[in-house]
Amino acid sequence: MKVISSICPGCSIGCGLYLLESEEGEGKRIKILHRKNSAVNEGKLCEFGTHLHVYYGREALNNTADGREVEQNDAIEEAKKRLYGMKPEELAFIALPGTVTNEEILSFASLASEFRCENISFGFERFFREIPEEASYIIERGLPFSEVEKASRIILFFVDPFVHYPLLARRILKAKKKGAKVVEVAFAKNERGIADETVLVEPTAVAGIKEKKEIFENSLIIGELTPYTNLQFLELMMWLNASTASRLFLLKPFLNVTGAFLFGCGYFSKRKKDLFEIIDGIEREEIRALYLLETDLAGAMLGGEEVTKTISKLDLLIEQNAYRTVLSDTATITLRSEPFFMKKGTIVNIEGRVLELGGESEKGLQVMENMGKGRSYEEVHEEVKKRLGLPTLNEFVIAIKREERSFDMAEPKIESEIEGAEGEGYFLWYKTNPFFWCGVRNKNFVEISPAALRKLGLFRGDEVEIVQGERREKMGFKISELPPNLILAESKLSIKPFKGLLTGVEMRRADIKNKKIEKFL
Amino acid sequence: MPRYYLAWAKDERIREKGANGGFVTATLVSALETGFIDAALVVEKKSVYEGIPVLTSNPEVVKECAGSLHGAPINLTKYVVDYGAKKRIGLPTKPCDARGIIEQAKRRQVNLDNIVMIGLNCGGTLHPLRMREMAADFFGFDPDAVVKEEIKEGKICLVSKEEGMGEKEKWVKIDALEQKGYGRRDACKSCVTKIPTSADLACGNWGSNDTQKTFVEVLTEKGEAILKNAIESGYVEIEEAPGEGIEKRKQIEAGMQRLAEDWKERMDEVSALSRSERLEFYVDALKNCIGCGACKEVCPVCACEAGAKCLDMNDARDSYVVSMYNMLRIFHLMDSCIGCGECEDVCPVDIPLTLIHRRFSERMQRHLGYTPGMDVKERPPLYETELRWSAEE
Repeated sequence: MKVISSICPGCSIGCGLYLLESEEGEGKRIKILHRKNSAVNEGKLCEFGTHLHVYYGREALNNTADGREVEQNDAIEEAKKRLYGMKPEELAFIALPGTVTNEEILSFASLASEFRCENISFGFERFFREIPEEASYIIERGLPFSEVEKASRIILFFVDPFVHYPLLARRILKAKKKGAKVVEVAFAKNERGIADETVLVEPTAVAGIKEKKEIFENSLIIGELTPYTNLQFLELMMWLNASTASRLFLLKPFLNVTGAFLFGCGYFSKRKKDLFEIIDGIEREEIRALYLLETDLAGAMLGGEEVTKTISKLDLLIEQNAYRTVLSDTATITLRSEPFFMKKGTIVNIEGRVLELGGESEKGLQVMENMGKGRSYEEVHEEVKKRLGLPTLNEFVIAIKREERSFDMAEPKIESEIEGAEGEGYFLWYKTNPFFWCGVRNKNFVEISPAALRKLGLFRGDEVEIVQGERREKMGFKISELPPNLILAESKLSIKPFKGLLTGVEMRRADIKNKKIEKFL
Repeated sequence: MPRYYLAWAKDERIREKGANGGFVTATLVSALETGFIDAALVVEKKSVYEGIPVLTSNPEVVKECAGSLHGAPINLTKYVVDYGAKKRIGLPTKPCDARGIIEQAKRRQVNLDNIVMIGLNCGGTLHPLRMREMAADFFGFDPDAVVKEEIKEGKICLVSKEEGMGEKEKWVKIDALEQKGYGRRDACKSCVTKIPTSADLACGNWGSNDTQKTFVEVLTEKGEAILKNAIESGYVEIEEAPGEGIEKRKQIEAGMQRLAEDWKERMDEVSALSRSERLEFYVDALKNCIGCGACKEVCPVCACEAGAKCLDMNDARDSYVVSMYNMLRIFHLMDSCIGCGECEDVCPVDIPLTLIHRRFSERMQRHLGYTPGMDVKERPPLYETELRWSAEE
């Protein structure tokens, strides 16, 4: 029985926990324990964290080259040789920073530069390109949760804390107990009634919120930034922030996203292509080689099947991961790294705490260093500490602080992003959560309005079919107090939004009769 | 063999490191050394705020884990269930650990023949982060510099060791701390089981005038055997407890129980409410549940697995304001909740589960004349459990 102090990789909050690893028969058994002394979460975990053993129980990735199992060193040599065989502009490196440490980010960035590759993405580059430089701190840095608890007025900007970031919810509830007023700006009222006031927004009239600017005055605006966030939506949040005496706190889906901003920062300004542009580049066959670090690209992205199809156009796919992904069979070379809890290293959470992982393995880092500069873990770790200006690490200290700055932001133009939802159509809104980004479906239903239930003539046990062009998906449903034409989904569907996380779809009652016959047969 | 003793470790190092003469540590070490047990389940101290349960067969590890750790509220029941099936285990148990283990034994999850519970009298534990705040706000210490804590005679002591400043020790009355919202966890404040009478031994400083001697009550044959083993193998020395010590211990226990009853009243936000306000209170608290299942996971009494009714009958597609999961857990625990507060500790939305469960379970347990976790022979009164027992016999 071995107890490892670890951090949940489910989102940017970075909840502390213990993993209890024990031998059971021929295998190992993992149990999640609550670490009550964790400065971030006081031992509390959301559904994802409580069931983290399932996430860590996935099939391990082996070292392979051209589909054959090989020794890791041979796989590394092969990867290196093939990467050198490509032109720099044909290369791309992607790491969605969910399970990568600061040390690995440094090593990954340095490896990309070793091959003179500038197409390196951590998932958020395009936002930096489009916003004023003096406002970039809002993207780069979050806020300590004590600031949430201290706030007197909180605006939840299209965020349901109970779903998107459950460990944030208790901070808001604490602020409320201290007298804070909570206002939600949303497409639908929060079912748990966390807000004192709800400002409902029509999916086709998001721009209308600009007229209600005064509600944002002297507030803490809490929003979300994901690779899918519509740029105009981000600009709207920033404009509201800039034009009112408020602060904007953007939660993000990947654990070490702050670390990626800190240690991959130089690359954001230099980079040629961002995540989506890299995928477009692969589709256009301009990019021919891709190095994926700890990233289940098809699982993390909407339209995973299309991503898989695009990726198959590559001449060289190198996948470094602890676990197999949908793309593992497509990969030219696979490099096995260790599960996140076994890693040695640090991460920076959304509050700015530098947190140390309790693992002992340097395997993932050494894979990259063996291909690149050949540094030891200690050397890379020292560089991390030096860059952070931290001789020692203490989870109880907010080491990466943010200073509020004023900046000018032009009033953004908000175009309706909804296409294909005219007339009888519905709007599908993805409520993201840790399961969503980890490619795991935790809910096999969508939420629909009572009006939709009546209109479609649904009964308990029925299913709905959500249709977008050629794509269709059958799901169970839950009745929630929603506007008549809104559908909420917490799990990823095959439906891909045009921009952002909102999209126009059709919905109908699924053909249950056929289903029953199929079952019977 | 008499029932009450004063006992201490013969090994000076164990006496120094352990609390009250190191009896508990010495007993576990001797049990390991002599093969009386295969492994000890102890809590390894990371700091005064943090401890990790360790299952070990190494006596040196047990020695390292000696001493009190009030800032690491861990219930060991589920560890015993998970890792104690095939081994003979000895472990120190707070009353809530012992009660949890007894309830799991009733549910056939633990074989008590393989478990030796060295009970520890318990005035309560502190949440580590509240303890840090307390160190800073009430004691004026840098929380990271606190190296030692102790609870004695209604007072809590913190020892701070800052660089270049030497050691500073400060004692504060627990009552004074708790009046200001610091101090023990709510579940501990309201707990009336202060002496773990369902364990094999009950140990502590109540009734002992000597800081180097533990007052020990022998409660079972197993308790007697492990004590004999420790004496005969030369690890422990004993003397019969004096009558006034026994009386003093009883008085302390009664005083602590009175205080707990007081706290129950003080913390009861519900009784004074009208019927509709009570309903509002429960709905307001439980509507925030995110369905993570952590409360069930850590519950020392719950033995149901994936097919549990609270999970089976709950459908996330239902639009109930209060989920069936919560309703069923309340019903299910009415006869068996031991009030340890583990569920509340891990609840991500801070639902006051200790209070809610107590509101229902105390009344029901009084009605049934049943106190869970106290006697393994006393069967849980719920019909379904009765049915399972009957079917097996």
